[in-house]
Amino acid sequence: MKRRGPVLQAVLGEWQSRIGLAILFVTLIAAVFGQLLEPYGIDQQVGGTLDPPSSAHWLGTDGGGVDLVTLLIAGARVSLIVGFAGAAVAMVIGGLVGVLSGFFGGKTDAALMRVTDYFLVLPDVPLLIIVAAIWGRSLQNIVLIIGLIYWTSTARLIRAQVKSVRERVYVRRAQALGASNTRLIFRHIVPQIAPLLIANTVLMVAQAIFLETFITFLGLGDPSAISWGKLIENSFKDDAVLNGAWWAVVPPGLAVTIVILACTLVGQSMEDALNPRLRVGHLSVRRFRVRPALRERDGA
Amino acid sequence: MSGAPVISVEDLHVWFDLADGGELHAVRGISFDLHPGERLGLVGESGCGKTTAILALMGLLPASASVRGRVLLEGSEIMAGGEDTISPHRWKDVAMVFQGAMNAFNPVQRVGKQIAEAMELHGTATGRSARLRVAELLELVGIAGERQDRFPHEFSGGMRQRAAIAMALACDPKVLLADEPTTALDVMVQAQILELLVSLTRDLGLALILITHDLPLIAQVCDRAAVMYAGEIAEIGTVHDLYADPRHPYTRLLFAATPDIYGDDLVVSIPGSPPRLDHEPVGCPFRPRCDAFLERCDTVAPRFRTVAPGRSVTCHNGDPA
Amino acid sequence: MGRYAAKRIGFALITVLVAITLNFVLFRALPGDAVSALRCKACTAAFRAAQRHDLGLDRPLVTQYGLYLKGIASGDLGSSLRTEAPVRGAIWEAIKNTVPMVTLGTVFSIVFGIIAGVISAWRRGTFVDKITQQTALAFYSMPTQWLALLIVLFVAGAVGLPTSGLADPSIDILGDASTWSILVDRFQHMVLPSLTLGLVLYGDYSLIVRSAMLETLGEDYVLTARAKGLSSWRIVWRHGLRNALLPIVTLVALSLGFVIGGTYTIEFIFSYPGIGYATVEAIDQRDYPILQGIFLLVTFSVIGFNLIADLLYPKLDPRVVSS
Repeated sequence: MKRRGPVLQAVLGEWQSRIGLAILFVTLIAAVFGQLLEPYGIDQQVGGTLDPPSSAHWLGTDGGGVDLVTLLIAGARVSLIVGFAGAAVAMVIGGLVGVLSGFFGGKTDAALMRVTDYFLVLPDVPLLIIVAAIWGRSLQNIVLIIGLIYWTSTARLIRAQVKSVRERVYVRRAQALGASNTRLIFRHIVPQIAPLLIANTVLMVAQAIFLETFITFLGLGDPSAISWGKLIENSFKDDAVLNGAWWAVVPPGLAVTIVILACTLVGQSMEDALNPRLRVGHLSVRRFRVRPALRERDGA
Repeated sequence: MSGAPVISVEDLHVWFDLADGGELHAVRGISFDLHPGERLGLVGESGCGKTTAILALMGLLPASASVRGRVLLEGSEIMAGGEDTISPHRWKDVAMVFQGAMNAFNPVQRVGKQIAEAMELHGTATGRSARLRVAELLELVGIAGERQDRFPHEFSGGMRQRAAIAMALACDPKVLLADEPTTALDVMVQAQILELLVSLTRDLGLALILITHDLPLIAQVCDRAAVMYAGEIAEIGTVHDLYADPRHPYTRLLFAATPDIYGDDLVVSIPGSPPRLDHEPVGCPFRPRCDAFLERCDTVAPRFRTVAPGRSVTCHNGDPA
Repeated sequence: MGRYAAKRIGFALITVLVAITLNFVLFRALPGDAVSALRCKACTAAFRAAQRHDLGLDRPLVTQYGLYLKGIASGDLGSSLRTEAPVRGAIWEAIKNTVPMVTLGTVFSIVFGIIAGVISAWRRGTFVDKITQQTALAFYSMPTQWLALLIVLFVAGAVGLPTSGLADPSIDILGDASTWSILVDRFQHMVLPSLTLGLVLYGDYSLIVRSAMLETLGEDYVLTARAKGLSSWRIVWRHGLRNALLPIVTLVALSLGFVIGGTYTIEFIFSYPGIGYATVEAIDQRDYPILQGIFLLVTFSVIGFNLIADLLYPKLDPRVVSS
């Protein structure tokens, strides 16, 4: 609880993370109120193939003659949903494994970490392919796959944290006073690791959005959902590059880049605030200054 | 203590820039002399500026710091050019044993190599002769010379601290600064390290500044002591004089607050806490905790004045001015 | 050392076994089976049945598992459903193309990532640090396939490098091209995909190096090194980077394992016939034997690189062995 102060301060105090928050906020607005903002329908043909930007269609049209501004806003919705939901699944699995592993230690820890290690070396892509083939290509499944791929790093991080928190005096005291394990975990340990968990989630959202574009590009995405990843894929399939139609290529990827950048800036400033070791640097290009002697003040 | 001082500090100030644009005046004009072979203790509560003061002597302050004052090493000024004028003397003339020297060694490099590193750099010894010298130094601090090829983690805490002292002696410095060299060590090891420091100054003519918050330790090791409070030297003198006849109320209270295992005197703590130094204190900084204050203590800061040869104090009590 | 190495190798071997088994289970767990998933117009029921028999899919699972293990042990990974060519040969062809391209990109990213990360940490808080960090973050944030498209769209034309294929199809049409010109042509085709990969990894690596360096530069022994009068250069090199290498090696090794097969989108966009391209094609055609082979290859390379990192570790960190 005590740590919340510096974290909030870091997030609100630095210009990088403030920009990040602003970007996330705007994207969130676009995603939530998207349907009101979209000038046209997402499958409404309003122009020719890959029409360049004009006053009616600020970003031109895609290969099917659909307005790209509309698609971009619609894409924000799907990409953010996938990002947040995927991150949430990863956090829940990773958090659970990490807490159990770090809290109980011993055999539980060894077994869970062994499983985590196996998952860590399992290549993502074949896993994606197989799961997509078994479960079918839908948005929910993409969310689950993202969770399945990313929970390992969270589990390790959380485990390390829980292990150190568990050894703290007040946790030991609570345990000595007869607090149950559930109570120890939820009352004493989870609140302590919460800031780190949140920072990790924010970073994970970025990863999830990133992975979604990748899955979609491999043709394993939800065929009916318009996401930013889908727009990048479409631009490739529609030969936008060959036709020099930068307006179809640049905006969706830029949107992804900016949102990921925003998440990273916010998440990183939180993590940095939680890592006091980073604040000390014994090597600096700048040096301390020498002030001129003040003779008259010496005598005063 | 006759002859010229090996190092003298004159009116040394250190400020730190704060994030909010203000400054913290951490060391507020300290002065003292140190003669060859002398052991000076720097004692005070944490945050009183003792570590900052000696980091300034080493030129190791961070970029947020600024300093003022003179540091004379065998009569020549070394502080005027900041780090540039100090760094040639680092380790060669003034060496240091850091607080928590447990981590003073790079974990992936052999201990001997790290000791030799400084010698090679300052041209004291290289190659084969450096190895021999390292073995000699290690033996001087009571570690078998062939252990120089071990890694730091293969040493116990006490051994690492000895090795850190050996490393500090690598270039035959004239002054050794030791910042809490015995914290985190058990009592037996602590005693051995202190004994080592005493014998080194005796045998090598090394001047020692020992920083600690532990008064009995000073009494055990040092000839003289400087009691620091709020970035100033409250009182300086021989350890015996400070104990027998404290001139500053803080010195008196500090001795009273130190438990004596033989006596059954009541241990008293000093109520209150030191002032924050992000604003210049008005009057005497010790006034709120003082039990012998005068009227002018509220408004006028006491000056650092010499009351007897080798004895100075920053207190209005007994000051005719 | 001996015990440590044996333990790490043992773990790697067990992981390989688990991966092989998982590979079997996952691909057998597919709805229907590989053959019915095969997309081809000429596939008649009789053809499918024959295929199924050839693949042993009509036998009990345990027998299939035995056959599968035997196949792997003898290096036989089956044949492609589509071309009926042996999987091993197809994968080998692809690897030969992927490895040089990936090596070029990886070396680029490691060299520049370390340089940028070290400078950034050393000059922490300065303008140079900020620029370096923001650039790295930008590359780190870009979807790989999008960066590839941007390079095709904006860079390729400007620098006049080819954006498609492994080699110029017309270069040796008369059979008189010199080895040198063929090599140059190959290299030119490699540059842009390598650059894409290199930039993506560069972002990743320089951020890793920076934060690892920041951690070590805050350690007490760095202050000691400064007190000893060492030059900044030497401190950064001997005491900073040397210690920062520990986390760097782990993370780089982990990412390298994935890189071997992780160039899917890059190779696809540049039509570069490597492992990544083969994967995307196989996904599209549901050519499971090929996918299975690639899956094994990538898993092995990940496990292999991790093992290398594990075995390298005691050389970098003397504490590893004793603890």
